[in-house]
Amino acid sequence: MNSRLIKYIILEIIAIIIAIFWLIPLYSMLINGFKTNFEATATPVLFPPKVFTISSYITVWGEMKRPLINSIIIAIPVAFISTIFGEMAAYFFYVTSERMPAVSNTGFSIISLATFIPYQATLLPLIELEASWGLFNSYQGLIFALLIFYMPTAALLMSIFIPVIPKYLIEAARIDKASDWTVFWKVVFPLTIPGFLATMIFVFIESWNNFFMPLVLTSSPSLRLIPVAERAFTGGYGTLYNDSYAAAVIASIVPLVVFIILGRYFIKGLAALGGGAKGV
Amino acid sequence: MVKVKVKDLTKIFKKGKNIVVANDKISLEVDDGATFGILGESGGGKTTLLRQIAGLEIPTDGYIYFDEKVVSAPNKIIVEPENRNISLVFQNWALYPNMTIYDNIAFPLKNIKMPKSEIDKRVTEISETLNIKQVLKHYPREVSGGQMQRAALARALVKNPKLLLLDEPFSNLDAQIRDSARALVRKIQKELSLTTIIVSHDPADIFSIAEDAGVIVRGKFVQIGNVSELYNNPISETVSKLLGDINTVEGEVKEKAIVIGNLAIPFDKKIDLTEVKVGIRPEDMRISQAEIIKNYVNIGKVKVKVSSYSAGIFKLIVSPISDESIEFSVNSETHIRSGIEAFLFIRPEKMKLFDSNGNRIM
Ligand SMILES: Nc1ncnc2c1ncn2[C@@H]1O[C@H](COP(=O)(O)OP(=O)(O)OP(=O)(O)O)[C@@H](O)[C@H]1O
Ligand SMILES: [Mg+2]
Repeated sequence: MNSRLIKYIILEIIAIIIAIFWLIPLYSMLINGFKTNFEATATPVLFPPKVFTISSYITVWGEMKRPLINSIIIAIPVAFISTIFGEMAAYFFYVTSERMPAVSNTGFSIISLATFIPYQATLLPLIELEASWGLFNSYQGLIFALLIFYMPTAALLMSIFIPVIPKYLIEAARIDKASDWTVFWKVVFPLTIPGFLATMIFVFIESWNNFFMPLVLTSSPSLRLIPVAERAFTGGYGTLYNDSYAAAVIASIVPLVVFIILGRYFIKGLAALGGGAKGV
Repeated sequence: MVKVKVKDLTKIFKKGKNIVVANDKISLEVDDGATFGILGESGGGKTTLLRQIAGLEIPTDGYIYFDEKVVSAPNKIIVEPENRNISLVFQNWALYPNMTIYDNIAFPLKNIKMPKSEIDKRVTEISETLNIKQVLKHYPREVSGGQMQRAALARALVKNPKLLLLDEPFSNLDAQIRDSARALVRKIQKELSLTTIIVSHDPADIFSIAEDAGVIVRGKFVQIGNVSELYNNPISETVSKLLGDINTVEGEVKEKAIVIGNLAIPFDKKIDLTEVKVGIRPEDMRISQAEIIKNYVNIGKVKVKVSSYSAGIFKLIVSPISDESIEFSVNSETHIRSGIEAFLFIRPEKMKLFDSNGNRIM
């Protein structure tokens, strides 16, 4: 009994220490945004502000507002579309795996390759393609480019979630004369919602944080996305530290809120892998 | 309805180096409106056969015909499962967990674009017949095993299939509802004269539903016939055991008898063997203090080892007084205390003899 208590306390302390390590950057980011520039430079990062001011937030907000809206306009459709299509592809690979293993395996290899290929490698042809289609420097162009990269990722992730559905349910549906479309929407999709949400959250945050694509695929400031806008506050000559902290806070607020609200689905989705479709 | 013919059907599963012959040259015929049972031990290949008939599994070799029309050929599904007009009740029922019982039953009807009012009428009707009307709004996980089983059956029957396939549909039910479920399926099958194939390892399922049956052992049909014929005249020890309880004990063939310890079964036929296996079902044996029972032969003295009661009869385990290691299971109409010695009687015409490989010799 006693030794169990001690073990519990030790584990608890370790967990707290790890949590503190994780939370320190978040904490310093939050507090330093409320300092004046002088204080942000002169005091240690972990010290709370002596003079509490929101002036840097006000300055930064003016310049971050537009990118924030832009990022929302881009990341939501990218996350949604790639996950839907990714799930359809994953379902296709799942049902063909028995009858047409060659098709399934090839498709699967392609999405794996597409997921793990460094995107810098394919950027040039992509820019040329977008330029010739008139998509360069547009919302559609950005969405298109991100979809190309995140659809395979979503398909790969959904390929992990889909096999949780017992095959016999799909077979039962076929015997019940359901079309492929009906099987997907009435049986497969409802039973993979936790996995779907987990994948969608993942793709959303990935595309939200993607810096390189919006940097090279857009040129006008009105199309700037959050990571690029945030970058403008850091580095370079004469960085305003309090402003860059405030910019970082604004940049991470959406992913944070998404994760706080939907995070349990993320965890539920992963948990479904262990427990079969039962918990759905 | 439909007539089903299976010809030399073979299914081989290959997983790496592992090769499993799940079905080996199986042939059978089920007439329009008839019922057929497939009996066999676990892993025998029953489900594989049923899945091939459903079109869910591609035959490695052989053909399946629905009314003279080829539906499956070697390495080829010619008519897809969705076009076979069949219903399959899965071993685990396969209800859609995300739909209510109502939606589960309505699903096959929605898929053929039946008007809502007609769907409603049919679902109500079938759920009244199967007594699940009160759970229509519930999800499968919220209802009992018996109700799930009836819901699966309702989903199978609501679309008026041409062929009903049942894969151990009663195995997850407890004994009480199992009997009523069997009776219900049989009743509906008769009313609709629905061609039905049922798979089970429990002979009681086969007896209650099927007229004819095939016994599958390691992928092969070893015997096909009328169910009572299979029961009374099994071709081997394995078949006799699959069809019901049977005692099989080693006996020595002597001049005028087969001897088992101190027991002697009169026997005057000529056979070459000196050792045989004697098979006799519990209901063909009796035990009594009296020395004579009409139509039975007294084979000697035994001692009652265990006495128990189930489903209206007393079940006894008895041993020859000379040898405790030999055991017979015997039915009795009255309770007999363990420890008591009495005479063991058999109906000689019901006795079956097997050789040491388990093949029937008489
Ligand atoms: N998809 C598959 N891949 C590989 N082997 C399989 C597959 N399906 C069945 N088998 C094998 O085929 C054999 C027959 O299996 P099957 O499920 O038909 O048996 P069964 O008679 O229905 O058994 P049970 O009474 O346990 O349900 C088994 O050895 C099984 O392992
Ligand atoms: Mg089976």
